[in-house]
Amino acid sequence: MGTALNLVLILLLLATALLAVTARDLLAAVIVFSVYSLIMALMWQRLQAPDLALTEAAVGAGVTTVLFVITIFKTRRREEE
Amino acid sequence: MKKVAALLFISALAVLLLFVVAGMPPMGDPGNPTVTHVIPRYLERAEEETHTVNVITGIILNYRGYDTMGEVTVIFCALAAVLAVLGRERRGVIHGFVDRSEVPASVIVKTMVRFIVPFIILFSVYTILHGETSPGGGFQGGAVIGGSMIIFTTIFGLYESSRRIPLKVRAPLEGAAVMGFFLVGSLGLVGGGNFLTYAWPRVAQGLHPSLVVWLTVLVEVGIGLGGAMVLTSILFAMIREEEEIAPAS
Repeated sequence: MGTALNLVLILLLLATALLAVTARDLLAAVIVFSVYSLIMALMWQRLQAPDLALTEAAVGAGVTTVLFVITIFKTRRREEE
Repeated sequence: MKKVAALLFISALAVLLLFVVAGMPPMGDPGNPTVTHVIPRYLERAEEETHTVNVITGIILNYRGYDTMGEVTVIFCALAAVLAVLGRERRGVIHGFVDRSEVPASVIVKTMVRFIVPFIILFSVYTILHGETSPGGGFQGGAVIGGSMIIFTTIFGLYESSRRIPLKVRAPLEGAAVMGFFLVGSLGLVGGGNFLTYAWPRVAQGLHPSLVVWLTVLVEVGIGLGGAMVLTSILFAMIREEEEIAPAS
């Protein structure tokens, strides 16, 4: 059970990381990146590091996402070809 | 050509990293270097040496106090860099593009945010004050306060938000983390011990445990307030806009 959950989490982590890198729409990339942070927080909790999980969830999934979104609104949404 | 070179470089890097991974000790093995060097000392003597309730708090705020102080300084420097590029808002009324948005936030969202923000702040206060006995601590609590300010600002706009936490409140508190750490650390020097230690041979043989707890809480509150204010200031600096508009009434 634990191993299966770990496997699913790692696969999701890889998928979100690849999507965040390859997405042309920067807003989509930022949202996928916040999902990545959320899964990473779950992984920290699975590795018994609740301190890091709290930090990752608050800073990685919350604060940096909003800062990225603000930056996108102030610049351009599409990546240049 | 460029792509082939990049592919070769990345493949070489991957092989190198995989070699390093193969050389790593197995996870959870009792013979690991991480387990045999400093961990036994931490586990056995942290309570008498640092007088903290929790070993992890002892490590973060005492054994590796310099480390944590450096991290706090890094966050402060990040704020300084953001302000150096974007500039501080002028005293008084400020506003951002959220205030000028043509689509006003719906009543449901506004009511929910108004309802939920106090609870988020309450949770972060719990995280900060219970930091020395449970997971969490100053930095996490500060980040949660910063998150609640972000929610409030994105829904109600910068004008309302900056009235809640004006510049004259934020500016002195931004340095609270660094200052609190430095002051408590210096108290250890004054007491005849080392920087950031809670053993003060010049004052008494072993401090009263409750005093140590209060000093730890002081450092945690400093880190929390400083972190929250730094995050809020970065947000305000990024979201604000130059042109003057009349505040929405």
